[in-house]
Amino acid sequence: MEWAWLIPVLSFIAAPLIVILGPKLPGKGSFLAILAIAAGFVIFWAVLSGFLGASPDSSHCETSADTGSLVCDYQQEWFHAGLASLDQSVTLTWGTLIDPLTLAMLGLVTFVALMVQVYSLGYMKGDPRLGWYYAVHAMFAGSMLTLVLADNFLLLYMAWELVGICSYLLIGFWHERPAAKEAAKKAFIVTRIGDVGLLVGILLLWSEVGSFSMSEAFNAATTGAMSEGVTTTAALLLLLGAMGKSAQFPFHVWLPDAMEGPTPVSALIHAATMVVAGVYLVARAFPIFQAYDGDALLVVAVVGLVTALMSASIALVSVDLKRILAYSTISHLGLMMLSLGAFGYTAAIFHLLAHGFAKALLFLGAGSVMHSTEAQDIRQMGGLIKVMPITAIVFSVGALSLGGIPLLAGFWSKDEILNAVSQNRNPVFIATAFVVAFMSAFYMARAMFVVFFGQLRQGLDHAHESPWLMTAPMMMLAVLAAGFGLINFNWPGAFPGFGGLIYFHEAEDFHFNLWIGVLSTVLALGAFWLASLCYLRERISPDILRQKAPWLAVVVENKYYFDEVYQWAVDRLVLTVSGFVALFDRAVVNDVGVNGPADTVRRVGFVLRLHVTGHLYSYALAMVLGTVGLAVLWWLRSV
Amino acid sequence: MPELTQNIGLLSPEFALAGLALGILAIDLFLPDGKKQVTPWLSAAGLAGIIALSLYMLWGRQETLYGGLLAVDAFSLFFKVFFLGLGILIIFTSMEYVDRRLDNPGEFYGLLLLSILGMNVMAQSRELLTAYIALELLSFCLYVMAAYAKGEPKSNEAGLKYILIGAFSSAILLYGVSMIYSSVGVTRFADISLALGSAGDVSPALWAGLALLVVGLGFKVSAVPFHMWAPDVYEGAPLPVTAYLAIGSKAAAFALILRLVAEGFVPAEDLWSQWQIIFAVLAAVTMLVGNLVALAQTNLKRLMAYSSIGHVGFLLAGIAALAPSSVLASNGVMLYLVGYSITNLLVFAAIIAFFNLTGREEIVDLAGLADRQPFLAACIAIGFFSLGGLPIFAGFAIKFYLFVAVATGGFLWLAGLAIFASLISIYYYLKVIRQMYIEPVPEYVAAGSEREDGIVYEPEQNLSPSFLMLGVLAISMLAVVLAGVYPAPLLDLIEAASQAILPGA
Repeated sequence: MEWAWLIPVLSFIAAPLIVILGPKLPGKGSFLAILAIAAGFVIFWAVLSGFLGASPDSSHCETSADTGSLVCDYQQEWFHAGLASLDQSVTLTWGTLIDPLTLAMLGLVTFVALMVQVYSLGYMKGDPRLGWYYAVHAMFAGSMLTLVLADNFLLLYMAWELVGICSYLLIGFWHERPAAKEAAKKAFIVTRIGDVGLLVGILLLWSEVGSFSMSEAFNAATTGAMSEGVTTTAALLLLLGAMGKSAQFPFHVWLPDAMEGPTPVSALIHAATMVVAGVYLVARAFPIFQAYDGDALLVVAVVGLVTALMSASIALVSVDLKRILAYSTISHLGLMMLSLGAFGYTAAIFHLLAHGFAKALLFLGAGSVMHSTEAQDIRQMGGLIKVMPITAIVFSVGALSLGGIPLLAGFWSKDEILNAVSQNRNPVFIATAFVVAFMSAFYMARAMFVVFFGQLRQGLDHAHESPWLMTAPMMMLAVLAAGFGLINFNWPGAFPGFGGLIYFHEAEDFHFNLWIGVLSTVLALGAFWLASLCYLRERISPDILRQKAPWLAVVVENKYYFDEVYQWAVDRLVLTVSGFVALFDRAVVNDVGVNGPADTVRRVGFVLRLHVTGHLYSYALAMVLGTVGLAVLWWLRSV
Repeated sequence: MPELTQNIGLLSPEFALAGLALGILAIDLFLPDGKKQVTPWLSAAGLAGIIALSLYMLWGRQETLYGGLLAVDAFSLFFKVFFLGLGILIIFTSMEYVDRRLDNPGEFYGLLLLSILGMNVMAQSRELLTAYIALELLSFCLYVMAAYAKGEPKSNEAGLKYILIGAFSSAILLYGVSMIYSSVGVTRFADISLALGSAGDVSPALWAGLALLVVGLGFKVSAVPFHMWAPDVYEGAPLPVTAYLAIGSKAAAFALILRLVAEGFVPAEDLWSQWQIIFAVLAAVTMLVGNLVALAQTNLKRLMAYSSIGHVGFLLAGIAALAPSSVLASNGVMLYLVGYSITNLLVFAAIIAFFNLTGREEIVDLAGLADRQPFLAACIAIGFFSLGGLPIFAGFAIKFYLFVAVATGGFLWLAGLAIFASLISIYYYLKVIRQMYIEPVPEYVAAGSEREDGIVYEPEQNLSPSFLMLGVLAISMLAVVLAGVYPAPLLDLIEAASQAILPGA
């Protein structure tokens, strides 16, 4: 277990190697990245078996008072600053923390990243910048792995920022396309607004606790050393960071655009390395959120619910395959947040994993379709099962799983969430959650039927199945998307079930609530049946809603006008403020630069003097005003 | 007073530096025109020698000279070595530029050395008038250097503006010093803190004097609203001088402010706790205005000017958070100064190398630089990422440390504001990176033909920065990454320096 730090470090080593040696290596060094992450995946199993064999008596391990589960913490001093004798010193560590939550994330990230990188060999074949692609990929995976291994907030924040940079580079990978560079910038800026909250939250915790250590912060929150106001504020600030990264309302606008990156990148971002970081953060900092009766969790639940409902409705009407998947991701992230907000810690992580496998699969499937048809609009597709059967089948498995068809992984995890919500939140939440569940089944069914079933569209005859480098990873993911739910069960004597491994304070049994199970099954099957009537057998016109309530359709199709409102706000508010400040500065400072007067000088020498002294007067005036202001301030503080 | 000249040998590095500067000026007179390139090498070698001399003589010493006017301690030594090292790198960065575009190289380097002398004394002085004289030595050298491109009206104008506004601010500073002296009768920092600590209430002359003093120093570091001169002077001055202004003079002024506040204000705990908010307000205004106005800039040098104003805001926030019992804020400021300086050196060296190749300095001229000069583009991008505070670069470590110190000092709101201002800064740094990496290489550059405004481009394919520039770039890039990943050894030195000025901590 003490070697867990190798998992991210291997990827970090691979990245510069690819950049430097790549051009001389076969495949531009892409195999280095794959080797690094594959080794990481192998080490993950070693760490897992080490952890399962560990007990609170093992060295470095203890039962955490904050989460109730076994935690192993390995610290390595990074640097120490400030006097050791003072409590205000800073010791920063490269600490790796291993607990069930970390292990779950490690498994997900290494596996999905490995699958995506293998798949990319086929998808990105022949790209002139393949080496750069794999280098950033390795950085991306390494950063996310560091993020989940970090035992202190500083390291977490550093990894958090690195994830942001890598996603910026990958989303904008095809920077020849204007849309791609805009999307990259948008993702970077929007998530960084959340990061401001995160960093302020971390600083607040530091100034209260005097350490970046997570366990010390959790301790202070749970034992009452930190007051209720501070704890709740810190939780909300951390949530702000999580909302930015996890594309929660109102920061969700960046994720749908982020699909401008290569499709395997979308798979990685949506399933494993970026958006789940926010959910992970809330889960990791759960002791802070849950302290003092969990007031902050109510906010988490509301944010999750609003996000889930809003984006599910947009997914219903999108016609771009990748956008449907993107809104679906936002909606499912909302469900995970809702689950956390309803104290459903186990359910949220379970859904995070089940959704991760299914969503990676769906994106890779979509990539396979686009690879062969070069289309993204689902209206131009249809009947593709006839030409690309493997893609069609694995995509359908993913869609059925996320749609919540019984016995597949998504069914079990969604049920756990609904269970938690029905137990701990008021009926409005559970009713809305059911609506979301129905919608998510419907849009998945719609995508699946329209793209793969029915008549083969004209002009798609040339489409062909993708090479095995692409289909093999999809098939492996499909197995997990279908069968991962089995891990939920409790096999007495052999395996304690997912809830027996990942839990908050109390191990959870596998629970199955009959009415929730039946109702969600009925809803999921009903949604698939309804979608088949609409899109497969065309008994019902899908446009019926558009005819009955045109205004609603317009609002939803325009994504509730979030982009427009933000654009307006940026143009009218931010740029106005910046312009005003600049104008003020310019009215006094000659912002045209020295150029203007200098040109004049060449023609009329003496103008220089007038011009310059004119400005200098105003500079001096500003200084005098500033002096007076400062003196008044000083006077106010001194008497 | 016999003790006045006791230990005067400890000033040997300063004597050596003054001798070196005068020597360079003298040698330059006798060198024939073709042999003048030897002066920068001599200057750099001399500086390296003085670094060795300082380390040998002064390591671990803790003494005062001239009856308490100058301090020989870890703080002075830290900044002395820092300034001398910076001087060497600045000389190497300037060589090609000076060689091609400026006359009288010997005098240029002589002035540079004299200004470093001024900076060294600033970091050592523990008395207002000594500090003032050192500051003037630095400033006068800079006035001349800003106007060094005699043929260029822009440079002349920059020098003229700089000297007029500089004289104005010096007058304010001196006025402040005289008012302080008239009300407490002392000028040594330590005596001022004693006077402040025992004063029942502060007389109007004293607070007015202190305010004037801060204004004068605010001008030197270009804090808002005393920043007006900076963009004009940065734009007009020859590029290496701009770099020197942004890096060296700022660091020296902060060394002075740090010692003044730590030794003169902070020990008077009651008053300082009331006055912290003044510096905090100054910091807040400076970081906001600097970063907001930077958004609107199109000239690279003006962008760097406003960006550096923004960074001054962060540094002032660290000054506001100084506390008698903790070295955290003082560590933070010094670490920030070092990280900021090496990062800026990287950016400016790359800009100078670009200018040497093309003679251009607008942001639009960087279009497609990633394809034209990949290494220069990477240097600027890394520098900007670091200035924006992104991890694995120095900028992350220094910002994190400083903001932690500010938050711990009781200014969480200011730390939050600083993080927000950093967010804004990312936006304009990205604008430049976008130009380099996303915009295509303009036709007229690729073809070496004429642009609309009549400027003719030479084909750049065969152009490459000189080995010297590449060396400076590589060293500073390494330093930027090293300081971001493993600042521990640096922090040990800074720690010792902090303890020298904050003995109570």
